[in-house]
Amino acid sequence: MKQIENIPDCGILLFKSCLVSVEYPGIESSTTYVFDKLGIDYLVSDEQSCCTGLGYYFDLFDQMSTTAVAARNFAIARKNGYNNITPMCSTCYAINKEACALLNSNDEVRSNINSVFKQAGLDDLIYEQNSLDEVDNFYHVVELFLSKAKQIGKLNTIDFSGVRVAAHHACHYYKIQSDDMIGNPNHPLLIDTIAKSCGADVVEWYEDKTLTCGAGFSQIHVNRDLSLKVTHAKLESLKEAGVELVLHMCPNCQIQYDRYQPVIEKEYGTKYDFVHMNIGQFVALALGADPEKVCGFQTHSVPLDGFLERIGVSF
Amino acid sequence: MNHSNDHVGVFICHCGGNISDIIDIRSVKQEIRSDNISTFDCEYLCSNVGQDLIKTSIYKHSLDKVIIGACTPAKHEKLFKKCVEDAQLNASMLEIANLREQCSWVHPNNLATTNKAISLLNGKIKRIQTALPLIPIQIPINPNAMVIGGGIAGINSALNLANNGIHTYLIEKEVTIGGNAAKIGKMFSPEKLAEECSMCSLSPLMNEVGSHPNITLLTYSEVENVNGSAGDFKVTIRKKPRYVKDNCMACGRCSKVCPTYVENDYNCGVKDKKAISMRFAQSVPQVYSIDPDHCIELTGGECGKCRDVCKVDAIDFEQKDEMIELDVGAIVVATGFDEYDASRKPQYGYGIFENVVTQMELARILGVNGPTLGKFARPSDNSMPHNIVMIQCVGSRDEGKSGNKYCSRYCCMAALKHASLIAKKYPDANVTICYIDIRAFGLYENYYRAVQDMGISFVRGRPAEVVQKANHNLVVKIEDTLTQELKEIPADMVVLSSAMEASSGTKQVANILNITLSEDGFVKEKHSKLKPVDTSRDGIFVCGTAQSPKDVTDTIAQSGLAAARTSAFISDKVIRRDPQIAQIERSLCNNCDECLKCPFEAISKDKIGNVDINPLVCNGCGYCTKLCSKGAISIAGYKEEQIMAEIDGVIEKGDVLAFLSREIPYATADNIGNSVAEYPANVKIVQVPTTTIITKAMIEHAFKRGSQAVLLVEEPTDNPVGSFIYPLALENFEQLKGELGKKGARLHFKKAYIPHYRGLAETFISLAQMEDIE
Repeated sequence: MKQIENIPDCGILLFKSCLVSVEYPGIESSTTYVFDKLGIDYLVSDEQSCCTGLGYYFDLFDQMSTTAVAARNFAIARKNGYNNITPMCSTCYAINKEACALLNSNDEVRSNINSVFKQAGLDDLIYEQNSLDEVDNFYHVVELFLSKAKQIGKLNTIDFSGVRVAAHHACHYYKIQSDDMIGNPNHPLLIDTIAKSCGADVVEWYEDKTLTCGAGFSQIHVNRDLSLKVTHAKLESLKEAGVELVLHMCPNCQIQYDRYQPVIEKEYGTKYDFVHMNIGQFVALALGADPEKVCGFQTHSVPLDGFLERIGVSF
Repeated sequence: MNHSNDHVGVFICHCGGNISDIIDIRSVKQEIRSDNISTFDCEYLCSNVGQDLIKTSIYKHSLDKVIIGACTPAKHEKLFKKCVEDAQLNASMLEIANLREQCSWVHPNNLATTNKAISLLNGKIKRIQTALPLIPIQIPINPNAMVIGGGIAGINSALNLANNGIHTYLIEKEVTIGGNAAKIGKMFSPEKLAEECSMCSLSPLMNEVGSHPNITLLTYSEVENVNGSAGDFKVTIRKKPRYVKDNCMACGRCSKVCPTYVENDYNCGVKDKKAISMRFAQSVPQVYSIDPDHCIELTGGECGKCRDVCKVDAIDFEQKDEMIELDVGAIVVATGFDEYDASRKPQYGYGIFENVVTQMELARILGVNGPTLGKFARPSDNSMPHNIVMIQCVGSRDEGKSGNKYCSRYCCMAALKHASLIAKKYPDANVTICYIDIRAFGLYENYYRAVQDMGISFVRGRPAEVVQKANHNLVVKIEDTLTQELKEIPADMVVLSSAMEASSGTKQVANILNITLSEDGFVKEKHSKLKPVDTSRDGIFVCGTAQSPKDVTDTIAQSGLAAARTSAFISDKVIRRDPQIAQIERSLCNNCDECLKCPFEAISKDKIGNVDINPLVCNGCGYCTKLCSKGAISIAGYKEEQIMAEIDGVIEKGDVLAFLSREIPYATADNIGNSVAEYPANVKIVQVPTTTIITKAMIEHAFKRGSQAVLLVEEPTDNPVGSFIYPLALENFEQLKGELGKKGARLHFKKAYIPHYRGLAETFISLAQMEDIE
């Protein structure tokens, strides 16, 4: 089981995410901003490809192709000596971890994929059993922040006291990989702890805290009404709890909340007074990052101007 | 040492034809008879006539040693040992050749059977020439017992022991005995379909404990340390200060004048108790105690009001911890359970919403001596709840890491009981039980049916979440998995059936006693079916919820058994152990400490640095004999020279020698005979403690004598010895095979299972045939 004291701060491959890059590039610039401030030894590699998670959950890619792509990305991590694969997206986290477990435990899968590499003349991609460990080499960025929560609290420049914050932890982090999450999967508190270290007034439990965001990958497109019904229920609970800021750890959830909140307001004839941020954006902001150039808040659908003004940040 | 001039008597049993129809006893006798070997035969050696023949012949012919050729030693070894002891011979002056299960029954149509019988007897004759008299190990047992934990399990155990005439110390960490059972207002009775007052059952038992001449009750006391071993435990108890002397009359004047209210954990933490109090009215002993964390005087202030009103001068603010030393022969662990902390499932709102309680708390709320004095009221506003929803399996049957995988066994019935109590007393109330499965095993099904007939609602499904709405009212969100509908059940009060978990006291005591816990943290029994109250250490027994989750009925049954086992153990007065265990020749020992690798932890160093073998722990497996490069350790009765001598007598050219470990493998070979299966007569069996004692010299000796193949058969891994020994035996086999070089190909290894006797017979056959080809 993962222990918070064993979370590494060196050899980190900050795993790029397609949804982060396309939808909220500020998450990545915020994360590297924080990593630099915290002195974390990390690498961002342009050789790395998408984890295929989106394609996988849309039923476009099968497990074998997904695992082969993962093996290719693992080879990049190994080649550069940055073996601790650390995504900003919970789907990248779960997909990579699962692929690694398969490559380590299933001889048939490993030899099939390695033979494809050999046939294509890509011998440098060949995966050797247990060259990565599915527990010890895979982290989510939020875990690194959690392990540095005290330091983050000390470096914090913003007075968050009285700001009601709630967290939405990502299903692919604490449900799919529940055995390897830090804490109690019935009561995830990673984001809450980080926000608390910055002095925020955290709502630790609210109705539907562990309910999904509703995105469900293809569901928002093929089952739009059901998908938005779930999101609506969750937004109502957050409203009931009197929250001002919702923190996320997965770009997919953030899209569902931030992009669709105005849609739900229109379709359900309601109004919500809270804004959304990724935990990386929150910590970067707390550590003094520029809200536009680093955090990229201008890319959000729910405008943050009012909120930032309330906490004394000019935007 | 050679005793070849000793007079040996060989007795051969006909077994009513079972042996004599196949084996030509006359030629056997002729073949082995010599100047100092006399031979006898008898229709049934195990009969009175046969036993008399053995005893009188020992006197008449001045026999020094006795060989018996009969059925397996597993059957009558004890009887024949008694015969020779009656005739003033040491029991190790007896050897039994297995002429039935491993000879006549397995080779019924074989002319070689008689020859095999001769060789088996020859083996025993040669072996016994090297035998030395062994003294049976006897260790006196202290006649006192100790029961740890004064809940209903400990109370019942202690009373059973005391009534059996055994002086028993009962140790309880709280200020009174009673445990969790004292918190439950009512217990259900499946046969009467009714609920009965639990204190009315428990209180008389508690009083009996308090006044029993054979029970020394130590409350507010904890076991600090335990040394020694079965029969002779040295126990240190820490008795905490009550600040009230035992002459307290329990008049209650002190409590009336005490100005400080404290949380009452007996009543769900309600502040209805004074800093000087009794836990509950029926407490045993009837002595008040002071809460040192809240008493004004003991926290540095000035008060002393209780001291001023006490008429018997019982208040003593100067009391200190007292250390008590006890000597006991046996220990019963009855350390009970803790309730699962339901706040680990925040989705059910425990610790967040006031009106979410556990079944244990509901039991207090419904109890007439509870926080509401029997009024059925919910915590937020003291109003009577009309809609009550119970959630089953909170922390039980849960694969996730915030719960326990096991079923807690008591909670289905506890929920039914409380539902029934509420429905009977408050007919307007609606009780809904959300369940996965209702486990009302055995006769409890009748009670379940009766509760269903009362109009209690059952919804099958595990609720997703409990949500609080206006006025502290709750809603339980659930999918009814029978109708596949999502439901939102309104509730004024939600009751969680929290799991039973191994108590912190259980873990603490297990650590002190060095007994094994199961994966789930309960005390592990030696064998779930055959030894359900024995722990991993001799002389220490377990019962009640310290062993696994269970209800009061099962707890009473099991605690009675633990008392019976303890009583039987103590009544023996001495522990007798077969002398066939490890023995050390200190003059050969060079203190290399290799033998300390004993997998059963039987070997340690004594205070002056000498190797010390604990006769109560050593099972004579023999693993240590291979670890000792100096030959200082041997197994009594199984010295290398004794096994070599037996090989000498048994093995002829072309034979297969099978070394069988003495428990499962030997019994499996007997089972071949019992099951009328066959194998060739050139397969010869020599019993050993385990195959870890087999040396290269023994195998080479067998090969030199003409043996074509040697087979080692070991205890299976699911046997208490085999679980440790099997991998070591396999390692020994592989090492021997390597050392033997080319000849290693003729050495084989196998494990045995009693029902799979055919597998062993087939191995015997294939090894015997292999030689035919060669």
